[in-house]
Amino acid sequence: MYLEVSNLKKSYGEGGSYAEVLKGVTVSVEKGVMCVIQGTSGSGKSTLLNCIGGLDLMDSGSIKVDGKEIFGLSQEKLSDYRRENLGFIFQFYNLVPNLTIKENIQVCEYLSDHSMDIDELMETLGLTEHQNKFPSQLSGGQQQRCAIARALIKNPKLLLCDEPTGALDSKTSRDILVLLEEVNRKYGTTMLIVTHNNSIKNMVDQVIFLKDGQIKKNYRNEQKVPAAELEDL
Amino acid sequence: MQKILRKRILRDLRENLFRYIALGLMIVLGMYLVISVVAAAETIVTGTEAAGKEQAVEDGQFSLFLPLTDEEIQKVEGKGVSIEEHFYLDYIAYNDTVLRAFKMRQDIDRPQADLGSLPVKEGEILLEKRCSEELGIAVGDTVQIGGHSFEVCGIGTAPDYEAPYRSLSDPAIDSSLFGVVFLTESDYEMLKGEHTGLQSEEYVYAYCLNGSMTDKELKEMLQDFTISAEEIEDDYFREYWDKRGGKVKDFKEALSDLREGAEELSDGVSELESAMGRMQESGFFGNSLDDYAGGVSKAAVGAEELADGISEFSDETETFIDDNFDLELSKLTGVLTAEDNMRIGGAGDDVAINKSVGLFAGVLLIVLIAYVISVFVVHTIEKESGVIGTLYALGVKRRELLLHYLILPAAVTFIAGVIGTLIGYSSYGVRIQMQDCYNYFSIPDLKVVYKAYLLVYGIVMPPVVAAVTNFCIIRKKLKKPALVLIRNEQKVTNVKNIRLKGGNFIRIFRIRQFLREKRTALTVFFGMFFSLLICMLCLNCYVLCRHIEEETKADIKYEYMYTYKYPDEAVPKGGEPAYGVTLKKEVFGYNLDVTLLGIEEDNPYFDAEVKKGQNRVVISSAVARKYHIGTGDELILKDEENDKNYAFTVDGIAPYSASFFVFMDIDSMRKLMGEDEDYYNIVFSDRALSIESGRLYATVSKAELEKSTEVFVELMWPMISTLSIASALIFIVVMYLMLKVMIDRSQTSISMMKIFGYRKKEIRKLYLNGQLLVVAISALIGIPVSKVLMDAAYPYMVSNVAVGVNLSFDWWMYIALFGAIIVLYLVVTPFLMRRINKILPAEVLKNRE
Repeated sequence: MYLEVSNLKKSYGEGGSYAEVLKGVTVSVEKGVMCVIQGTSGSGKSTLLNCIGGLDLMDSGSIKVDGKEIFGLSQEKLSDYRRENLGFIFQFYNLVPNLTIKENIQVCEYLSDHSMDIDELMETLGLTEHQNKFPSQLSGGQQQRCAIARALIKNPKLLLCDEPTGALDSKTSRDILVLLEEVNRKYGTTMLIVTHNNSIKNMVDQVIFLKDGQIKKNYRNEQKVPAAELEDL
Repeated sequence: MQKILRKRILRDLRENLFRYIALGLMIVLGMYLVISVVAAAETIVTGTEAAGKEQAVEDGQFSLFLPLTDEEIQKVEGKGVSIEEHFYLDYIAYNDTVLRAFKMRQDIDRPQADLGSLPVKEGEILLEKRCSEELGIAVGDTVQIGGHSFEVCGIGTAPDYEAPYRSLSDPAIDSSLFGVVFLTESDYEMLKGEHTGLQSEEYVYAYCLNGSMTDKELKEMLQDFTISAEEIEDDYFREYWDKRGGKVKDFKEALSDLREGAEELSDGVSELESAMGRMQESGFFGNSLDDYAGGVSKAAVGAEELADGISEFSDETETFIDDNFDLELSKLTGVLTAEDNMRIGGAGDDVAINKSVGLFAGVLLIVLIAYVISVFVVHTIEKESGVIGTLYALGVKRRELLLHYLILPAAVTFIAGVIGTLIGYSSYGVRIQMQDCYNYFSIPDLKVVYKAYLLVYGIVMPPVVAAVTNFCIIRKKLKKPALVLIRNEQKVTNVKNIRLKGGNFIRIFRIRQFLREKRTALTVFFGMFFSLLICMLCLNCYVLCRHIEEETKADIKYEYMYTYKYPDEAVPKGGEPAYGVTLKKEVFGYNLDVTLLGIEEDNPYFDAEVKKGQNRVVISSAVARKYHIGTGDELILKDEENDKNYAFTVDGIAPYSASFFVFMDIDSMRKLMGEDEDYYNIVFSDRALSIESGRLYATVSKAELEKSTEVFVELMWPMISTLSIASALIFIVVMYLMLKVMIDRSQTSISMMKIFGYRKKEIRKLYLNGQLLVVAISALIGIPVSKVLMDAAYPYMVSNVAVGVNLSFDWWMYIALFGAIIVLYLVVTPFLMRRINKILPAEVLKNRE
């Protein structure tokens, strides 16, 4: 298994405001798999993603990525872990406003010794013609492509996507999902996608459904539908 | 990665050009102020010290009733002390201007020619620099002294007249009324021989101790040099001598005559007795002489006893006289060490405080810069929180982000620091700051001194402060988890969360806005306070000068004050006698002259109700202000000549600000000082009196005093105007920067207000008028606090200036200052409104995408 999460617990607050968000989650994902984490609002799906990404610290349990335990790592070590293994895509693109599209991608190119070819990546993501534009000159979808390119440029083994289409319209969402699918196919990147969107589960290999901080469903999707054919996005 | 991120630095600079220019301008102005003030002080202190060494500045000087004899000179020089005659004569030249003529010096206090050359031929003079500037005299011009024409061969300075006070009791220097000239020895002797000076020649010697004696030891040696009556040539001095010492001497001579007479009588009677014995032995007269001879013998015994008695009486009387009357008058009239001489080192002393003030202001400025930058950084980090969090999440290291955010502020502050330092050191900085000194003191042209600590302060400090401030804040911010940064979660403080009851929406909104932007408001206050401190420094300087001028004019009721060297028997008609003794009192490390002035009860020139009593005085308002002494307090004055302290009780304060006078009943003072019942040495009058110049030390007219006080404002104006403008600009820049940050932070909310349909005027009311209140409240707090602080500090800054420090403002000045602050705010407002107008309603939507 590429990703192994065992008995992961995470809580917030104290006293009256105490809330246990993840109540002993155990799950595993194979290498090169596209996996969707679904659940209602407050189910703990983003928290799970953030714990896997080392953005949030878990209370107990274990997370192993490519066999390496991340529980108990210092912030510095977590930073190294993210640098070496992860790519992140968020609902809001958070691009550096006064860097061009290409430069925004280049910011992360230098984080890895085995980064992808930037021109090829931009070509794949349809950004070549926009490479010299600034984020404010692009649409939301184009900016999200840039954010994806930025996340992928360092050739991460694991791509964590938190509502990557949450701020996009249906057509642009589809385009982005097609892109993710293509990246997965082309580069073999393991992907964890947190989403509210019910249709996305149809395009991935594995579906995890969270409810009240616990895994309610975890199954392999044997009848994958290409992203381009997804309905009700 | 840094290579890529660096690309955005220039773009960031371009996007926020106005902000960075304003920040840069603030640093440029601040560095300019600090560097120019401190570098000017360093240049003057170092330069005048170096010039003093080069020109062999004296260790001190002493004045005598009569010149030293060759034997006395040898005695002093034999101890290893160098001395040189600095005798002088005063002449009226150019209407009211007094020129003090010295012969050229070879060893001590050597004059230096800034222009032209030193006098070597007859008919040539070197004119002191400040006087030449005031009178518009150039090299090659002719000056009339004592009825002779002299060609100005050079214009220069002498270290013992660096502060060219005519008299050490003068409240201020006025070089349009007094200057110094140096002539060849033969010219000087010629002038001296003609007796056309304002008063008799002053016998002053400068000395250099060369480490062989102390000032005190030299003084003791000089005190032993006494005056021989035969040497006295000056008629006025002879008169003085006869009056003070001659009568006692006559008495001693009479005693001697009596002793001699008694001895002669005894000898004569003894001889008669011997003769009688011989006559009896001859037997020629038989026994007829026995009775007579017996009588002669008794007379001889009696005469001898009388002679012994008179001899004894004479010895006892002489012992009594020697013990009680100082017949052998010391030649010494005074010793003045260079340290106590206001004319020496005045420029350095004057600017020493500028250095302290400049450095203090420098520290305040650095704190202000750090605070302003911190507000910027917090704003930037909050604005870019999502980006930082994302980059952080993607594995970008904290130190890489830190480095990135440090570069631009460090670069801007570095460049601004360099520019500020360069301007500070340029002719627009140091030279302007030194101009006050050049306008007042007679100092040579000095080369600007570059001190390493100032260069570090001006060039290294700003980027270091920017880097350290940014480092601390960014480090703290980046300690937050990436997730918190991505979400841009703000800590909700109790203050922000405060419940506000009642009142209309606008008022509540403004309060909320203030609470949210309290850090910005604090910076506005701090910037204003810093500017107000500088402004108060200028205003205090201005009001002090104005008060001196106005009060001098109001307080001086006499037209002339004559200070006697050799007072006449009778007070000249129309004159009001007074008895003055110069004593010393220390203030903040400076030992200033205070004149104890005995006046008659009905003296028309001073509103001082003096009472009988040897320890009761009324002080002038100048003394009261300078020394913070009031009625009922004890006042101790030191007589350094005789190493005595006098303690007085203050009965009242008389309105007199022109000099440090301590008034006393003249009879009580005569008794206290052991003077005759009719003694006086000062005469005040309401018109010019006919007094022989040879009797006088100095004549001071009301017009001269008034004129000398008028120069203060004129002299200080360059500094007052430069600092005031700089402080106002700093305030404007800080206010603009902070209020702009506040607007930028409220961008989303302003955008939302526009979406809701709020008009420009209403938005202004919500976001800017609230700030007007912040500025107004800051001004209401800042003005009195800065005034109190500067009033406490200012007397230290002028501690070497012999004037009472009256810093009181007229009520309208406070209102004008408050008004000026509001006006400055209104000057900034259009720029801020322009920024608000640029915020589009779509802004909020754009940021939500």
